[in-house]
Amino acid sequence: MLAVALLQAATGPATAAQTRIGEPNAVAMAFFFVFIAVTLGITYWAARRTRTTEEFYAAGRTITAGQNGFALAGDYMSAASFLGIAGLVSTTGFDGLIYSTGWLVGWPVVLFLIAEPLRNLGKYTFADVVAARLRQTPVRIAAAIGTLATVIFYLIAQMVGAGGLIRLMFGLSYETAVIIVGAAMMAYVLFGGMIATTWVQIVKAGLLLGGAALLAVLVLSKFGFNPVRLFAAAAEKFGDGVLAPGRLVTTPLDTISLGMALMFGTAGLPHILMRFYTVPDARTARKSVFYATGLIGGFYLLTFVLGFGAMVLVGPETITAIDRGGNMAAPLLAEALGGTPFLGFIAAVAFATILAVVAGLTLSGAAALSHDLWVNVARAGTATANEQLRVARAATVVLGVIAIILGISFKGQNVAFMVGLAFAIAASANFPALVLSIFWRRSTTQGVVASMLVGTLGTLSLIWLSPTIQVDILKAPSAVFPLKNPALITIPLSFLTGIVVSLLTSDAESLAGYERVERQMHLGHSTST
Amino acid sequence: MTALMIVLYFGFVLLIAYNKPFMSRLITPGLSVGILLGALVIVCTWLLTWVYVRWANTHYDSAVDKLNR
Repeated sequence: MLAVALLQAATGPATAAQTRIGEPNAVAMAFFFVFIAVTLGITYWAARRTRTTEEFYAAGRTITAGQNGFALAGDYMSAASFLGIAGLVSTTGFDGLIYSTGWLVGWPVVLFLIAEPLRNLGKYTFADVVAARLRQTPVRIAAAIGTLATVIFYLIAQMVGAGGLIRLMFGLSYETAVIIVGAAMMAYVLFGGMIATTWVQIVKAGLLLGGAALLAVLVLSKFGFNPVRLFAAAAEKFGDGVLAPGRLVTTPLDTISLGMALMFGTAGLPHILMRFYTVPDARTARKSVFYATGLIGGFYLLTFVLGFGAMVLVGPETITAIDRGGNMAAPLLAEALGGTPFLGFIAAVAFATILAVVAGLTLSGAAALSHDLWVNVARAGTATANEQLRVARAATVVLGVIAIILGISFKGQNVAFMVGLAFAIAASANFPALVLSIFWRRSTTQGVVASMLVGTLGTLSLIWLSPTIQVDILKAPSAVFPLKNPALITIPLSFLTGIVVSLLTSDAESLAGYERVERQMHLGHSTST
Repeated sequence: MTALMIVLYFGFVLLIAYNKPFMSRLITPGLSVGILLGALVIVCTWLLTWVYVRWANTHYDSAVDKLNR
């Protein structure tokens, strides 16, 4: 998953090109402090409205469809998609489009299969849905493992990305950058819970879309507002090859496997799924996906213009000279078009992007730790509201500290594979369990638990054996497992495990509960309390 | 509809994986089949979600309301 190769940012020191990237930038600092001040203000406002667990995890279920659409988009459009895809397109042309489309097509799957049942059946985490008619303890433990594995790998990737990015853009040291990100994120989540996190996402999504749109308009104004002329200019300069599938698409199976991870991973990302609990009902959940799909799709079309714009107006050599991964393409383009102030604005937007995604991830991880593991497993569902909140906040601190420590210890690593890993685990551990437990009458506790564990462990071990780790990091001559992304194997494997184990076992409770759960899934009775 | 989306996207991915020359063909200077299809996949994604939301808001919701009564 090299779109996320912004993580390579950590490796490429700024060299002597005509740019002010890497120097402390007053405008960037100013925008950045304004963003921090505004979001902390929101957090203060939200903190006074966050007294119950329902408010902490689900913003009191008062978010509207439009707001949730923006927040979903905010949670989803990480710096990887902004900087990574723009960079990928600017250096390779067409290949970046595979990622753009792949990251979008997961959304209809979420909408058609997951969003409404999730809202009608669950309370705070996706484990609520899986456990609706199965035995609580084993299902919640397995689901929490899947969630935490996804969240932690995603968090590390974002933290390392943030560290490298901020060092390049603001000239701060890597460690300082990681600690600032961790501290700000903990403040949002600890005090403001889901209300603050949601509004941080909305602000960030607005900024990101606005910044990208402004940049795209500036690019297109140089080409008579006709994207085809932009593409033609790119082809003229760098050959028709930039408009066709290129070097990224060497083995067909790898491409398909990556596509599968992107498509089904979205439907298993805990921080995305959690957002569906913040709206009042299934109807609103449905509409919010529609808005989110529109925003995200529009954004990916924009990144494509940005990528080709950077290719033509900045040039791939300059971009890769600053950062091998190409991640500085969008900021460099901003500098070329609008000078240092615009560079500062885009840099601050990129930073806000990372901060918001990290906050959403941490909140969903904290929910798995406290709501699933502590309240429903350790305390068998009897904890008081006060205790639940205390545990949730403690879990936030724990995750925040873990994220900072891991972020610092993975410094300089190419951790691109970790986002791939996060998507692959989400697609192979969480998604099959959700589908089996929602739609298949015959699924049993043992089957679903086995499916989640096989999905998580299978993905972890196949990534370990893959060329990404064996060849790129351990420098082995070849890898046992040929694919860079294991989703092609692990998604079917996880489904198969769930089905076979379910057929071999019987679970009277699960069968008996199916009618009730199916009724609740469609009618939305006795939704959350 | 899920199936349709899967077919659309994997159709696109498979074309990229196995039929590079087709995707590389230029329709006009600056616009290759691949880029056009990629943009179309995004547009189709919008259309599909829109159709579903329309359907669910009119038919599905009223059916659910009836059952609830």
